[in-house]
This record gives sequence, structure tokens and C-alpha cells, in this order.
Amino acid sequence: MTDTQWPRFMVFQQSELDEPFVHNGTVHAPDPEMALMNARDVYYRRPKAEAMWVVPAESIFSVTLEEQTSKEWQQEAEGAGIEKEFHVFAKFSHQGQCEQIGIVSANSHEAAMRLAIETYTDKQVLWWWVFPSDAVMASEAEDTSSMYDPSLEFDYKSQAAYPVVTMMRQIHAKGKLEE
Amino acid sequence: MNTKLKAKLAKYLIAIGDDELVLAHRDSEWCGHAPILEEDIAFANISLDEIGHARLWYEIAAELLGEDKATYPDQLAFFRSASQFHSIQMNSLPNGDWAFTMLRQFLFDSAEVPRLEGLVESSHKPLAEAAVKIRNEEIYHLRHTSAWVKRLGLGTEESNRRMQVALDELWSYAQQLFLPIDGEVDLVAAGLVPDSAEIKSAWLESVVPSLEQADLIIPDEGPPPRDRSVQTQHLAHLITEMQSVARLEPQGRW
Repeated sequence: MTDTQWPRFMVFQQSELDEPFVHNGTVHAPDPEMALMNARDVYYRRPKAEAMWVVPAESIFSVTLEEQTSKEWQQEAEGAGIEKEFHVFAKFSHQGQCEQIGIVSANSHEAAMRLAIETYTDKQVLWWWVFPSDAVMASEAEDTSSMYDPSLEFDYKSQAAYPVVTMMRQIHAKGKLEE
Repeated sequence: MNTKLKAKLAKYLIAIGDDELVLAHRDSEWCGHAPILEEDIAFANISLDEIGHARLWYEIAAELLGEDKATYPDQLAFFRSASQFHSIQMNSLPNGDWAFTMLRQFLFDSAEVPRLEGLVESSHKPLAEAAVKIRNEEIYHLRHTSAWVKRLGLGTEESNRRMQVALDELWSYAQQLFLPIDGEVDLVAAGLVPDSAEIKSAWLESVVPSLEQADLIIPDEGPPPRDRSVQTQHLAHLITEMQSVARLEPQGRW
């Protein structure tokens, strides 16, 4: 068998309109539109989403705290090219999620990263992500209702709230079901 | 609403509830078997949504019939025989391949949306309110299945072939969706439910261009659809499996 795994997309969720987007997890999908739907289905059980982004994992350039001063990627930041907008995300603690902190304009991922690190010097960051704005597939405002509202009405019960195990024991005890 | 009309509306709601429940059970058979994990989760969600819709319709039927809203839906789902179900035949057909499953869901959801657009306007308030909630979920289902129909239709020669085979089989079955349900004339006259003929024209307007854009050929409608009282042999097997646990302990609380 060949590898049939689809490309990986990073999923970002915005819980309130004035809050930053936060990295939620990953999904596999054949294309961005399907990625957005898969993301909704895998993550929408966390209520209060206002919007979701999916970004191809390969569009994200990542630098850790240790790599921050490395010459290797900084050399790549010197190239020429057309400037475009990059989103800057950062992770501040091991428990925390990577969250949106700003936007920079640059001509490459590496240049955007250097600019991000220079711009947000007041922050102690464990790792940085940058990706071009045009790599984002965002859910539309008019989709909010059909994509996220249904989850608000679901009951979230612990499995312990269902007496299924007890019921099955009683049924077994009566010998109604083959083991 | 007089008692006769209430009974007719309840019958209508049980029929469309049966459509949801039977399809939901077929959908649930994919749980753990869908092509990839993400789709497995997505399709299980759709199945659960459809079960929720069946419950809503059964609850409103219970109120109309003076039955207990808390227990009647389970009575309908787990303690009727297959011959007492009024679901359309299409929904009981075995899942076949993924193309068949997606196309069936697409054809069904595409009829659900215009039906719900009509039910949102129903003069029976609880029905109109439930329709608002269900419509929101169906819009999303349709988006999901439309995306699959497009990709499978335009994907590879093999995926297109499988879709065409599925469409050739499902198209005439789907026509049963638009056969007026018993008592529908009076319900339409009272502004309680939409006219099936109008649902059909809305359905054709949406599915024909989508299928043609997915490089599929619309087949002939075939013979007139069977009445909802006639079931496939597949339904009996489905119902037996679906009810097997509940019937082990009819008084049980799960």
C-alpha cells in the first residue's frame, strides 16, 4: 500500500470575536475546504467558536526558543521578493496553546520570523509560528450559525451519568446475552 | 387543531422521523469504518444529528397524540416492527460503498432543506420551532455531502464510475421522498406542512445542476414510487439489529 494519508492542516479557533485565534489541533484533508469541514467536525464540540481557520502545515514556519538565534534560518531571511502579510503566532508556556499575537509584512517566511522576533521583544516565547495570510482558509461569518451553533445545545454528560454498565450486568446476570 | 388533523400531522411527523432514524442507523454502521479518521468523526456526527431530528419529530407527534413525550420516541424506535415503519425505501438500502453512502445522504439532505424551509412556516408552532433548529444542522450536512459529491464525481475515472452506478440505483428510489404522505392534502391546506410537489421542484433545481457539475448523468425517474407502507427486505434486518439491545430489557433505563 502506498501512503494514502492526506495533507495535514493546522486548525485555529476563535472563541469570541475580539479574542485571538488559538491553535486547536490538526486535521488531514485533501484540500482546504474539506479541511475546514473536518476541523469543524473534529473540534466543534468545544462550544463558543466564532470562527475557524485551517492552514496547510507546510505553510507554517516554526522556530523554537533554542533556534531563535540560529544562523541557519536567519541567512535565508536576506533574500529578495515581493512583500506580503504574515500572521505571527507564539506559544508562551508548555501547557498553553500557540496563539495569534500580530501581523508582519515581509518577503519570506524567514524574514517574517526575524521581524516577528524583533517586534515582539517583550515576550518570552517558547516557539514561534509564522505563515502567510493567503495560506489561511477561514470560515465565513454567515456560516457561524450552521457550523457552530448546534453544539451549544448539546448536553455534555459524563459517561458515568449513563447506567449502561449496570444495565448490561443485569442482562448478563439473567443469561439473556451470550458472552 | 381538531383530533383528526392532529392524528394526520402526527402520522406525517412519524414518517419523516422514520426517514431520519433509519438513515441515521445506516450512517452509524460506518462508525469505525469510514475512509479516514476525520471523516469517521464527521459522519458519526451527522448520524447523531439525524437521530436527534427523529427524536424531535417523534416528540411533537407524541404531544399531538396525547402520549408521553419522554417515552414515546423510544416506543416508536425500539418497539415497532419493520412493517410499522413508514420510512422511504432508499434509507434502508445497505450502505454499499462510500460513493453510494455519500450520494444517498446528499439526495436526502437536498430534500430535507426545502422541506424544512416549508416547516419553518408551519402554523403549528412547536413544529416550526423544531424546524428552525433542524434546518441549521441540515444546511451543514448538505455542505458536507455536496463537497463529497463534487470531489467523487470529478475525482478519478473510478470514483466517477462508482458515483454514476450509485446515482443510477438511487435516483428512482429518491422519488419516493416526494410522494405525498397520507393526509398531506389536508395538512397543506391548513398551512401545517409544505406541498411535496414544491419540495420536489426545489430539490430538482438544486440537485440536477450539482450532479451535472460533478460530471454525472441524470437517469430516468423509472416507475412511480411505492407507497411508504411497502418496505424493503433490508429494513427488517436493520430494525432487528437496531432494536436488539433495547428489547433485551424493555423496562431498562439506559
